[in-house]
Amino acid sequence: MSEPFSSSTTGRAPSGSESPSQPVSPDQISELLKGVAAKDRSAFATLYEATAPKLLGTIIRILNNRGWAEEVVHDTYIKIWRKADQFDATKASAITWMVTIARNGAIDELRKQPASRKAPEDELNQLASKEPNAQSQVENQQTVNRLNLCLEELEKDRRDMVRLAYLNGWSRADLATHFDQPVNTVKTWLHRALKQLKGCLTP
Amino acid sequence: MTDRDDLDMLAAEFVLGTLDARERAAVAVRRQSEPDLDEMITAWERRLSALADEVTPVTPDPELYQQIEQHIDALETRLAGADTDSHDKSNVVSLHKRLRRWQWSTALASAAAMVLVAVLIFQPAPEQRPQSFVAVFQQNDQQPAFMLSVDLNNRQMQIRPVTAEPMQGKSYQMWIKADSLGPNPRSLGVLNDNFELERAALRDYDPELLKEATFGISVEPEGGSPTGQPTGPAIHGYLYPVADEAPGPSH
Repeated sequence: MSEPFSSSTTGRAPSGSESPSQPVSPDQISELLKGVAAKDRSAFATLYEATAPKLLGTIIRILNNRGWAEEVVHDTYIKIWRKADQFDATKASAITWMVTIARNGAIDELRKQPASRKAPEDELNQLASKEPNAQSQVENQQTVNRLNLCLEELEKDRRDMVRLAYLNGWSRADLATHFDQPVNTVKTWLHRALKQLKGCLTP
Repeated sequence: MTDRDDLDMLAAEFVLGTLDARERAAVAVRRQSEPDLDEMITAWERRLSALADEVTPVTPDPELYQQIEQHIDALETRLAGADTDSHDKSNVVSLHKRLRRWQWSTALASAAAMVLVAVLIFQPAPEQRPQSFVAVFQQNDQQPAFMLSVDLNNRQMQIRPVTAEPMQGKSYQMWIKADSLGPNPRSLGVLNDNFELERAALRDYDPELLKEATFGISVEPEGGSPTGQPTGPAIHGYLYPVADEAPGPSH
């Protein structure tokens, strides 16, 4: 009972290959989302096919449990179906809007479970082994490069904190434990890092 | 540091994900009525979104899409609203599709499905159309499963164990969660030794809300959650409409 009602995560290999079938451009995703707002089921199916691996990857990394992550993906696409008409292309790209719903759902779920992180070392290794994607899936490459440059300017510990929080869903308390600092210090470090990032990203 | 800086850092940490559950819930509520905060959050989402680029995509189980489609079917069927014959038939068809999936998904699920079939068949032909909905709580074979039936006309609910068994020193607690109730689940009560819950536990909830809600059953210390929120593992279910008429013998 250590995992919260998780479905079996073994022996259920995904049917498709790991590579996305068709690269879909940000504009196409935006168009598909418009179709979904008009309750077009085939647009929804195409949108799901194009984006679900990205959202599941995002959520699994936070929850570390495939069955649980698939439940959050389910909720995420129901929200996308119901709220597509609230998407505002002037505020965010379509995929950012969708990733935001997915991350919020995953982090809300995670925060409700008091369980502590089981294998922080694995997550740290994962962090270290990051390789730039051949083709940017979320943002245009320029935006990615720019953020990476700004992250590089942060001290290593602070950079790791930002990435562990955003990508792996670590809370202030998780970070405090791992970096062996009081929670308030972590909060101060995070705020400094975030302000520095904001300054660096502001043209 | 100005108040505006503080607000901006709150927005930044909300997006980064480092706030605790209570702080997150408070920010989610505040942004509805504070355009400044909402804008700051959106700006941080934009700023940090490129971080998500390094996530490795994972192809979902094909079954997941079917489940999502069925959930949308249920939502749309409800929205269509009209109590026509064709509407009833489409319910039966979609239930059958669901049953097929349950039957091959896990042994436990097929047990749940059989109970569901029994309910469909033995439901007496109604004088006045009750708005009957069922939810099945299923998981892998180690986990308990329940079935919940709700009549939305009088907001009566009945919970039935399918394979769930009593656990020494533990209680099952039932929860409801819906967007309009805020981010946290609300307790509907603790199941007694006979797995019963007060039949009127839903009386304070609007039927429209119930149709969209997620129901959860969690394993809690005896007597129920000490915190007012689910603390143990939980399984979830959604309400699906049950066709008013029993499927015929052709079934």
